[in-house]
Amino acid sequence: MATLQAILNGLLVGGIYALIAMGMALVFGVMRLVNFAHASFLMVGMYVAFFGYTLLKINPYWGFVLVGGALALFGLGVYWTLIRRVMGQSDFLQILLTEGISLCLVGAAQLLFTGDYRSINLPLANRTANLGPLNFNVAYAVSFAIAIFGATSMFLYMRYTEMGRAIRAVAQNPGVAPLMGIRVQWVNGISFAFGVACAGAAGALLLPIFYVNPTIGGPYNLKSFVIVVLGGMGSLEGAALGGLILGVTEGLTAYYWEDSYTQVVDFVLFLAVLLLRPQGLFGRKAP
Amino acid sequence: MTRSRWLPAVLFFAFLLSLPLWMRDAYLQQIAFRVVIFAILGLAWNLVGGYAGQLSLGHVAYFGVGAYSVALFNERLGWNPWLGTLAGIGLACVAALIIGSLTFRLRGPYFALSTIAAAEIIRLLALNLSFTHGAIGMIAPGLFDEPNSDRKTYLASIPLLALAFLLTAWTHDSRFGYSLRAIRENEDTAMAVGIDPAREKLKALLLSAVLVAAAGSLYASVFQFIGPDSVLAIDMSVQMALIAMLGGAGTVWGPIIGSVVLTVAAEGLKAYLERAHLLVYGLLLVMVVLFLPGGLVSIFKQRWFRRLRPRAGTT
Repeated sequence: MATLQAILNGLLVGGIYALIAMGMALVFGVMRLVNFAHASFLMVGMYVAFFGYTLLKINPYWGFVLVGGALALFGLGVYWTLIRRVMGQSDFLQILLTEGISLCLVGAAQLLFTGDYRSINLPLANRTANLGPLNFNVAYAVSFAIAIFGATSMFLYMRYTEMGRAIRAVAQNPGVAPLMGIRVQWVNGISFAFGVACAGAAGALLLPIFYVNPTIGGPYNLKSFVIVVLGGMGSLEGAALGGLILGVTEGLTAYYWEDSYTQVVDFVLFLAVLLLRPQGLFGRKAP
Repeated sequence: MTRSRWLPAVLFFAFLLSLPLWMRDAYLQQIAFRVVIFAILGLAWNLVGGYAGQLSLGHVAYFGVGAYSVALFNERLGWNPWLGTLAGIGLACVAALIIGSLTFRLRGPYFALSTIAAAEIIRLLALNLSFTHGAIGMIAPGLFDEPNSDRKTYLASIPLLALAFLLTAWTHDSRFGYSLRAIRENEDTAMAVGIDPAREKLKALLLSAVLVAAAGSLYASVFQFIGPDSVLAIDMSVQMALIAMLGGAGTVWGPIIGSVVLTVAAEGLKAYLERAHLLVYGLLLVMVVLFLPGGLVSIFKQRWFRRLRPRAGTT
């Protein structure tokens, strides 16, 4: 029973991981860009949600839509002014650029908001509920449900809309896509905005059950890398499943071993997948 | 060519050695020490990241191994810090062999990500194992006794910088260096002309790890207090890359220039903006990538600059 409880806890956390990692997977799949600034956008989303709640009384459980929208615009701006210039260049420069953007965001947050830990107190975040003999935190469950909803709507968008088709076309072959009348730059920009919006919305959902400070992103960035590699770089379904798998792995590690070793297990898993199955657990094509 | 290479180097090292004679201010001396240490780190990273073009973002692992070895071997076995430094270099080589042989099988972003993972595993172990005292950190012994231990450590760091510089200068013109550059430009073509990329990259990483570990030991013996967040932080890896890129990756003088500029700029700005150093690093990194991918050194190579000094050497 305790094992089941650990798995449930892991699954609920994994839902949020999945949402974060899907944003990164989308950006990688379409643009072949490893976004080292991804979790810094998550941090920005958390601050937006924080000030939205404290100044404007916007509850993050519906405000995540606004946060996602705001971050999408921000992401589009970052793409247009900075990222666009290194598209098609070596991944060496691309990684360094996104790392530089990440440092800028963290540094700006430190300057504006200091390194203080901030959190909000929603009554929902302290409530627990029972599912048979298992109990769970309601806030986690709500975040999980929203994350799954977000993931599903993203799949449907990719599958059934014209823009979704264009995005998938660029992901499949960025050379041929423009010949079919697709504006690759726009598709890249919108994918990047989508990716950043995922991180921002996830940040808004994380805020009530966690705290925010400028360096909060670091571990999530590494976790997203792990998940995206686990699911096969660039695969949205893989990232969603990978997020859940990582959450459960962490839950079990925390229960059977020690909480502080969850990250060690993350990285060992990561290296093992990279070395033994670089196409990811569900991917078919080797990178 | 040769003279234009060696004359500035001799002058530069003579200047570094003369610093303690006329610079009495302890704060300025510490900045000079930081410049030297980060120049060593930048040069070391440059061998792997600049010449071989392998974007390692986990170099802090070797720095931490060097720093922790000095403290650990002193605490457990009572070794003096010189022996600890040697042990640290040895352990860093072992770490480099293991990490390198695993991660060099990957390319591009996969390689960068795997180096981060390897360094993070080491940081998390140092954070969680009891014999490294976790987050509390460790006390490292000083290399020299008082008085003037800081000045002596500074002087001890200069031969290491000289070694890093000579290694880089040798790499720049040797067959080894050309192999690394061939791997950087196109690994498959390099293989086709008979270069063994796995072996050459591992060689570069070993040389790099030796220098980084020695610098880590020196760092530990000056600051005497080390912890997972100071000597194993991922930011340090980024900083090594930034120094090399800022000055000019794949050049002999680039990392040295990068270290001088970055350290002095960061210290100078600290007076005005207490918490701004990350923002400054970030802005610099973005600027360099977008507008000056060849680094500051590339300014000297531009045509308009050469026209000002028509007889200047090529490097």
